Amino acid sequence: MNSALAQPAPIPWEALLPLIAVATTGVVAMLIEMIWPRRSNDVIVWVCIVGLAAAAGCVVYHWNLPALESFGPRFDNAQGSVGGGLFLHDRFGQIIQLTLIATAFLTVIFSEGYLREKRLAFGEFYPLVMWAAMGGMIMATSRDLLIVFLGLETLSIALYVLAGLSQKDKRSQESALKYFLLGAFASGFMLYGISLIYGATGTTNVAGIPALFSLELPDPTAVNVAYAGMGLILVGFAFKVALVPFHMWTPDVYQGAPTVVTGFMAAASKVAAFAALIRFLDASMAMKDVWIPILTVLAVITMTVGNLIALAQKDAKRILGYSSIAQAGYILVAIVAWAKAKGMPNLTIGYETVAFYLIAYTVMTLGAFAVLSSAASKGKEGTLLEDLYGMWRRAPFPAAMMIVFMASLAGVPPTGGFFGKLFIFFDAVNANLVWLALILAVNSVISVAYYLKIVQATLRDPEVHPTKFAPVNVGLFATCFLCAIGLFAIVLFIDPLKSWLGG
Amino acid sequence: MPELMDPSMPSGLNLVWLVLLLPLAGFLFQAAFGKAIERAFGKSTGRRILGFMAVLPIAAAFVIGCILVSHIANQPENARVAISTWFDWINLQSIHIPFELRVDPLSLTMVLIITGIGALIHLYATGYMADDKDYPRFFTYLNLFIAFMLMLVLGNNLALVFIGWEGVGLCSYLLIGFWYEDIENAKAANKAFIVNRIGDWGMALGMFLIAVVFASSQTLLGGETRYLSFDVILPLAQQVVGEWGGAVVWAIPLLLFIGAVGKSAQFPLYLWLPDAMAGPTPVSALIHAATMVTAGVYLVTRCHVFFEMSAFAMGTVAVIGCFTAIFAATIAWGQYDIKKVLAYSTVSQLGFMFLACGVGAFSTGMFHVTTHAFFKALLFLGAGAVIYAMAHNQDLRNYGGLRKYMKITYGSMLMGWLAICGIPIWAGFWSKDDILGKVFASNEYWHSQGWAINPVILWAIGLATAVLTAAYMTRMFWLTFFSGEERWRNLPEPAHVHHHAQHHEHDDHHDHGHDEHGFFIEYVDEHEDGQDHDHHDLGPSHEPNEVKPAMWFPLVVLAVLSTFGGLILSGGYPVTEVFGAHTTNLFKEWNAVSAQPTVLPAKEMFKVSHSTEAVLILLSIAAGLLGILWNRARYKKGIPQNEDTKLRRLAGSQWGYDNAMVKTFVDIGGKFSDAFYKIFDKGVIDTLFVNGIPWVVASTGKLIRKTQSGFVRAYAMAILIGALAIASYIFYSISR
Repeated sequence: MNSALAQPAPIPWEALLPLIAVATTGVVAMLIEMIWPRRSNDVIVWVCIVGLAAAAGCVVYHWNLPALESFGPRFDNAQGSVGGGLFLHDRFGQIIQLTLIATAFLTVIFSEGYLREKRLAFGEFYPLVMWAAMGGMIMATSRDLLIVFLGLETLSIALYVLAGLSQKDKRSQESALKYFLLGAFASGFMLYGISLIYGATGTTNVAGIPALFSLELPDPTAVNVAYAGMGLILVGFAFKVALVPFHMWTPDVYQGAPTVVTGFMAAASKVAAFAALIRFLDASMAMKDVWIPILTVLAVITMTVGNLIALAQKDAKRILGYSSIAQAGYILVAIVAWAKAKGMPNLTIGYETVAFYLIAYTVMTLGAFAVLSSAASKGKEGTLLEDLYGMWRRAPFPAAMMIVFMASLAGVPPTGGFFGKLFIFFDAVNANLVWLALILAVNSVISVAYYLKIVQATLRDPEVHPTKFAPVNVGLFATCFLCAIGLFAIVLFIDPLKSWLGG
Repeated sequence: MPELMDPSMPSGLNLVWLVLLLPLAGFLFQAAFGKAIERAFGKSTGRRILGFMAVLPIAAAFVIGCILVSHIANQPENARVAISTWFDWINLQSIHIPFELRVDPLSLTMVLIITGIGALIHLYATGYMADDKDYPRFFTYLNLFIAFMLMLVLGNNLALVFIGWEGVGLCSYLLIGFWYEDIENAKAANKAFIVNRIGDWGMALGMFLIAVVFASSQTLLGGETRYLSFDVILPLAQQVVGEWGGAVVWAIPLLLFIGAVGKSAQFPLYLWLPDAMAGPTPVSALIHAATMVTAGVYLVTRCHVFFEMSAFAMGTVAVIGCFTAIFAATIAWGQYDIKKVLAYSTVSQLGFMFLACGVGAFSTGMFHVTTHAFFKALLFLGAGAVIYAMAHNQDLRNYGGLRKYMKITYGSMLMGWLAICGIPIWAGFWSKDDILGKVFASNEYWHSQGWAINPVILWAIGLATAVLTAAYMTRMFWLTFFSGEERWRNLPEPAHVHHHAQHHEHDDHHDHGHDEHGFFIEYVDEHEDGQDHDHHDLGPSHEPNEVKPAMWFPLVVLAVLSTFGGLILSGGYPVTEVFGAHTTNLFKEWNAVSAQPTVLPAKEMFKVSHSTEAVLILLSIAAGLLGILWNRARYKKGIPQNEDTKLRRLAGSQWGYDNAMVKTFVDIGGKFSDAFYKIFDKGVIDTLFVNGIPWVVASTGKLIRKTQSGFVRAYAMAILIGALAIASYIFYSISR
């Protein structure tokens, strides 16, 4: 064993290439912005497109690289060997990385038009998106809680800045400040939780937790400390994925931030945080008797409260904010079902349901915000429902796309949203959680009402002042189109996802 | 068509797919190009093309049907069944339903009837419907009907049969309501559709029950999961159902029979068929006489194993059939509408077929299906010709002496009339006599099986029905073609307004006589053909004419079939038996593999001595003659004074059955659902759910929204509270 410690395995750099590519793209984009400030951002956009394509290429090129349980340097040599390296490499990580790269890619191609219409075409936007994506990718492939935290902060800090991008808009500033303050508050919980885990296991690596519980006679104090740490880490994640009652920042921040940022934030931070959460939970399986009830309750109140409040909203961005809270609740149901199934004979549920829903959620949310971004024109932007009146006439393509995305969010077949919910429902039923499945079903019925409200608004005739919609540019068209196609095409990935992630 | 080839099949038999696809192609052609062709080539030429294209696929399918018959007939008796699978339609873990067709004597018999008589009726319809404004729509439906009907008889599993079953129901609905602008026609279509739902309910339940029973008998099936396919269930039915025992034994056949009762218009569900006469006459001939309504008999024959296992089910079939036969015959005797007479006659004849099936003579039942298809199609088409010549007047009281004016129609209908009356050598005699003989002969067997009603009684009722049949048919025939007076001459001269519901086309010509397409010239051409007779209304100046060749040609063909078809197919059985001569009963031999009873002792149960047989034959001939002579004497000189008696009126009103049904189910049901709507829908649902739930949901949403104050401190407080709740729960659970 000592000899193994003495000669650490070589680092498989190809597994880290996507991360490096995205980070480098961010740096290059920033340098260009520094060298030619206040020029057209087209060059930066192209650099980002190429960089992200290269990153995606790296993932795909090394798709068949064998899974590695751990690699990279290790922090845990204080007492021995439990931890292992900081990173891991597996299918789930690859899929989440691809999802994040795609999110950044779609954001980059449709943002420029919006930023110009809003008169905030700052070149900083692009590197920040890159680094945020990189932070998310780190969260999805790291097995050391400190590194996860680092990824989380990289993602969050970039998002704080992005949220406040519109310096003249008070609401944007307010949103950035709220996000930052509350984010810092939640990070405190998380960091404290990590330190407790370290106290209990002697390592910040998640592998320490199963090791602690697999001891024949675990130290009862250490076990209790681990439980407390787990609870605090859950709070941190709950804030990040916006579970009720840790959700309250969401509508304010979503509404205040520039629409393109909201779209990216809604998709990327939720995907990354859920990926990290499910990995953490997988490691803490020994404590699942405690965290399953917590997550179940959180799922129920998150779905219900999110949907109920969404009904009372009058602003499309706020509605989508609450909708994303409710959607987090659905994903949590999938996670609970997955955890329940772990202890059951004859039933294996892998990450596939969660991954499928995360991808579908990304596509439909990003698409919806992309459509909303076309409501910004010549420095003005109205996202109240009544601002959308008449969209059908003046911007028929985005309006039609809106119907598709709303249909998917509401779970109308044969969209990805429908299948995602269907799989969650099946998983829940299979895991003997029929009541939870029924709550999910009832909630998704309630949600139809407010999604229809948005659709209805786009189809109505304007009453007071007709909103100007920005003309559809290539980027926006491409984003909407790709998202819409993706929503239907995602069905084709059900079987591959099952074979990669199942059981 | 290589993808349709099933390598396991003798290659020639794969042609069966063409039989199914040709009418379907015809349907698609009419639906897609009908209107366009009419517009492009003008009404006259366009319709000629469309009519040709409508008849062609059916005729071609008939030819292919004949080829298939010749293939199969060469095989030894047991090798006459083949199945061709195209693709997997439904393939679940628990049940497997391929898209497969069955080629066997029974399905081919039906195919020949459907396509052969179907082609003739299509041809006839090109003449009959020539002036209708919706010509392409008519043939679209008619071709679709043929396709579905073929699916019904060719499908090798109950699911495919059910598709056909529902499909023909749909087409029947569409065609009954073809002249939908008249609300009465639309109502008749609805009635047919709704009453048929009851039957379909039985059929579907029977199908499910079969699937359930077979799915739970895995061991016998040896891993086979085609629980609805005939080649799986029929040979094993005896074992599997026998293993279950109990109610299943009679429930399966009775549920299937409910389906048959609905589709084949038996008591108590017959009441849609008379109303279905609202459709154009070719439809009545094709769907409501020759083919669709015999689907019930087909189903019983196809699934005869299930019926045979339960004496109770067999008895029910026989009694219902027998009762319907006499019941409908009395009603027919009270009708004045020529099509209504034929409609009730059809119901009555279908009763005969079920009577045959009920005593176990399935092959004889199918034989009656065949001969009935000949002569009833003939009679309907003849009636259509009369109606056409009489400007769509259907009342027997307005006819009379038409034989002088419509010689071909008269001549062919004469053959049909003799056939249905059961006079040798015409077709109806052979099948009807065979049925009555089989019913009588099975007396001993069914008596020993504990039937409450002896078959002899059923036979006596059947014989009485035969008298009645001859009677009402003679009445109809005489009032139409003979009876001295030409009563249509006494009708008042009609005003020159053409507002017959059926005369849309006529109005069209008056409205746009000189339309921009120049069709008027074509229209004049038609006038010169001498086809303008129905442009007059019935009246003193009206002279009925013989119909055009497209219409009388099918009549002649059917007349020949009605005359000789029965004799040829039966080979003279059972008359030859009496004389000790042994001729081949072609139809029975041919159908043996599909229609021979498998559980019942077929060889022994129908045994009678030659002398009894001879008496039976003589009695059945006497019955026909009696009916003819009685009514010929009665209607020789026109309508007698005492025609409109109370009894006849009562019979004509279906003995009050239809009214009672309407009162009970439509009126009371309507009141009930009205009250239900007011109390439950408006009261409970609307208040509590439609308005109540949204109110509760929305107010809760508004309430919770108040927590969203916008202050960071409040949000942080929420996070803190949440964290504390989680922490206390963890503390609680680890300290437990």
